[in-house]
Amino acid sequence: MRKQISADNFNILLQTLIDGGSRVVGPKRVAGTLLYEPLTAPDQLVLDELPRRSVKEAFFPVCEDLLAYQKQGQQLTVQDVDPSRFAETVLVGVRPCDAAAIPVLDAVFSWDYKDQFFLERRARTTIIGLTCTTADDACFCTAVGLAPDETRGADLMLTPLVGGGYLVESHSEKGEALLQTHAALFSEPGAVQPLPLAQPQTSTFDLKKIKAWLDGHFEDQAWDSIATRCVGCGACAFVCPACHCFDIVDEGTEKSGKRRKFWDACGFWKFTHHASGHNPRDFQPKRYRNRIMHKFKYYDDKFGQTLCTGCGRCIRLCPVGIDIAGVLEEIQKKADD
Amino acid sequence: MCDQNKNIYLPYLATVDEVIDETPDVRTLRLVFQDEQVRENFNFRAGQFAEYSAFGAGESTFCIASSPTRTGYIECCFRGVGRVTEALRRLEPGNTVGVRGPYGNSFPIESFFGKNLLFVTGGIALPPLRTLIWNCLDWREKFGDITIVYGARTEADLVYKRELAEWQQRGDVRLVKTVDPGGNGPQWDGKVGFVPTVLDELAPAAENTIALVCGPPIMIKFTLPVLEKLGFNDEDIYTTLENRMKCGLGKCGRCNVGNIYVCKDGPVFTAKQVKAMPQEF
Repeated sequence: MRKQISADNFNILLQTLIDGGSRVVGPKRVAGTLLYEPLTAPDQLVLDELPRRSVKEAFFPVCEDLLAYQKQGQQLTVQDVDPSRFAETVLVGVRPCDAAAIPVLDAVFSWDYKDQFFLERRARTTIIGLTCTTADDACFCTAVGLAPDETRGADLMLTPLVGGGYLVESHSEKGEALLQTHAALFSEPGAVQPLPLAQPQTSTFDLKKIKAWLDGHFEDQAWDSIATRCVGCGACAFVCPACHCFDIVDEGTEKSGKRRKFWDACGFWKFTHHASGHNPRDFQPKRYRNRIMHKFKYYDDKFGQTLCTGCGRCIRLCPVGIDIAGVLEEIQKKADD
Repeated sequence: MCDQNKNIYLPYLATVDEVIDETPDVRTLRLVFQDEQVRENFNFRAGQFAEYSAFGAGESTFCIASSPTRTGYIECCFRGVGRVTEALRRLEPGNTVGVRGPYGNSFPIESFFGKNLLFVTGGIALPPLRTLIWNCLDWREKFGDITIVYGARTEADLVYKRELAEWQQRGDVRLVKTVDPGGNGPQWDGKVGFVPTVLDELAPAAENTIALVCGPPIMIKFTLPVLEKLGFNDEDIYTTLENRMKCGLGKCGRCNVGNIYVCKDGPVFTAKQVKAMPQEF
């Protein structure tokens, strides 16, 4: 379904959702940093800038409780987490590079054993995407096969119009339901003029060719030069919309506490460090190689998808200037040779 | 055991039934599930692993060291080297631990029926094979000759000492135990020498024989060429890999060797599979 909504009515829609008890999450400035955060008023929404961290934390929080335990005498009891406490959520203003990562993550959290923490939140969330009209030097969504108007992962898609307001398209039953519930706020689209699309980097990667090179070059001198600068800070993984590695840690005493799931990063030396002292990825370039391999080979081998949507966050934040798009370009060049 | 609507990170609770010190720093915990249904329905195969937790310290990954033929309990065996293993070592009979599992693949024991078995292992790598050893001994008539070559740095580092004595005494299994040069005391009745060397001298026949190898990387490295020399095919050599794990469920992303997830695709692999992996383990 295709509709139009005015800027005023869009604000009314957000206010109605907030008042209706939904958790409405969108880009909001918190202490100077733009993050996907719960909104308490429509005017908190900031749509002309890419949030610092990705939207994945709406489904896969930085840390979350897996269980609580308590010991009384010899009796230890464990309390499960009730997934029904996960709030009905509407994510609004989600960039295509963020929204497209969510179906990619569905694969790992739902294959074989089902991670209900991710999947329950997923089931309770409606994603309102935003066609991207701003890009910077680090953006490369088009290079990995996506686009500023990519609709993958979005239930509803907003396209900003010249003069204000949005063109609204539904891409799922959830999106359709939201349009119908609030039908009075939408009108039939007239002769609209969308804002010009963002223009990310123009180079395009041949991901198949890159993967083919990775298939045959686990051992290659290039890895040392590619990753020699990496300091293993993990920033790239934490801001990435598709990185999903995690740690499980107990917090508390032997008497009471919680077991929690935390974001982790394959760039950390401790990630694979055995208690014996042995570490299969004992050298930073091995860890960076794993990052590239996981994104462009292993995940593809396993799930037929790429763990990168070209959002460029890792490029913007890397303290030593490692540019993953540059790395891919280098690999592609090697593949061509 | 995979319930779709369940919290997959929720452990079963088990009571420490018995604590056995194998060496000064290696301990066995015998665990009995507290829930009767779990006790009856916890089915596993030799080679599978579990996540064991000491509440407040966290979870650690070990194989299930007892045999699936011995029901009513499971055992794990570990060296106290980190936060979780030290906390597990402090537990006493009656204390509660968490157990998630069983996870991973297992030894294809049915395909070993009618064959000779050669176990080659060292140090604390015996527990991952001990589950299979007892499984095979409990089904003794299904197999040909069973030989166990087991070594450790010193006599004191040999685990399951009482079982080694039992294996030595029963006439249906051949135990060749060895310690590294200098690791032998005055009463030592075994061999002195590294496992690969002892194996080389022993020269067991490869014909109709499955080799099951588990040990520290250095032992594996020098054992595989000996087996090859003796005529073993890579498809007939099995090992079990370990890597740091957290979830055990193919999600947390750290136990991979290339695109192989040790927790899901393993931990049991043939030498052929291991040789095809990127050398990053």
